[in-house]
Amino acid sequence: MNKDEHDHKHCLELFEKLSEYLDNELDEVTCQGIEKHVKECVPCFVCLQTLKRTIDLCKQTENRSVPKDFSEKLKEAIQNMPKSPSAR
Amino acid sequence: MTAPKRTNRKQIKDKDFELVRAINSGQFDRFPDLVKRYEQKLYNFSFRMCRDAADAEDTVQETFLNVFRYLKDFRYETKFKNWLYRVAASTCIKKRRKSKFAPQRELSLDEFYPQNEAEDPQQVPEWAQMPLDKLLSNELLDKINEAIFTLPEKYRLVIVLRDIEGFSTAETAQILNLSDANVKVRLHRARLYLRDRLKGYFENE
Ligand SMILES: [Zn+2]
Repeated sequence: MNKDEHDHKHCLELFEKLSEYLDNELDEVTCQGIEKHVKECVPCFVCLQTLKRTIDLCKQTENRSVPKDFSEKLKEAIQNMPKSPSAR
Repeated sequence: MTAPKRTNRKQIKDKDFELVRAINSGQFDRFPDLVKRYEQKLYNFSFRMCRDAADAEDTVQETFLNVFRYLKDFRYETKFKNWLYRVAASTCIKKRRKSKFAPQRELSLDEFYPQNEAEDPQQVPEWAQMPLDKLLSNELLDKINEAIFTLPEKYRLVIVLRDIEGFSTAETAQILNLSDANVKVRLHRARLYLRDRLKGYFENE
């Protein structure tokens, strides 16, 4: 498809739904429409692939480990809490 | 005879069910087990929300104190973890309001429209194509974490719960008291924002 035939309105509609598409939250007909469109429209295909990669990368972000003395501090704070249900 | 008012409501028996029930039946000495189970996760969640190690520690502590205080009201109608994050999220939001004021910026969809790019890309960039394990580096992960930090809070909350903590749309909506549609809108904008930051990072490399 060359650029002149490119239906921008359709691209923008699709652009709004890309996350839902990647999360499998769309109905089958809408999914098929998106799949058909990205086969023919390079910019939308690029958009979809870069968004997908962004999500994959986000899922890889590391968790910090809890600072060493924090568990101890937390334990102490909890031991000092009122224990009886009436005091809760 | 008493009417079975609430008893036929479905209880969710997840992996925390027995422990929470034990604590609620008076075994308070088991509360530290619950803390142990979640301190790491909550620390990371709080760190991402507070963006400061000391504030994150305070928030986790306040969260557990709130959990201890309100656990007796937990009705087992959701997973315990979801209820816990609900407490954690509201503790983080309160903490933030007490600390330095940062304006809440709205992200609008048109900032991210592909036609705003200099020109339509004609191929998928290298960083979105190569195998994920080849792409990953500590530097890149730092960049992503930094980018997440710069997201306005309401978007950060949603993307952290959805894409990092792994909650579903419905669970996230429940934790944050939002509609599913609202969660989806915020998530999509947060992801597009991060995508732009990543694009910038790779293009200027
Ligand atoms: Zn298109």
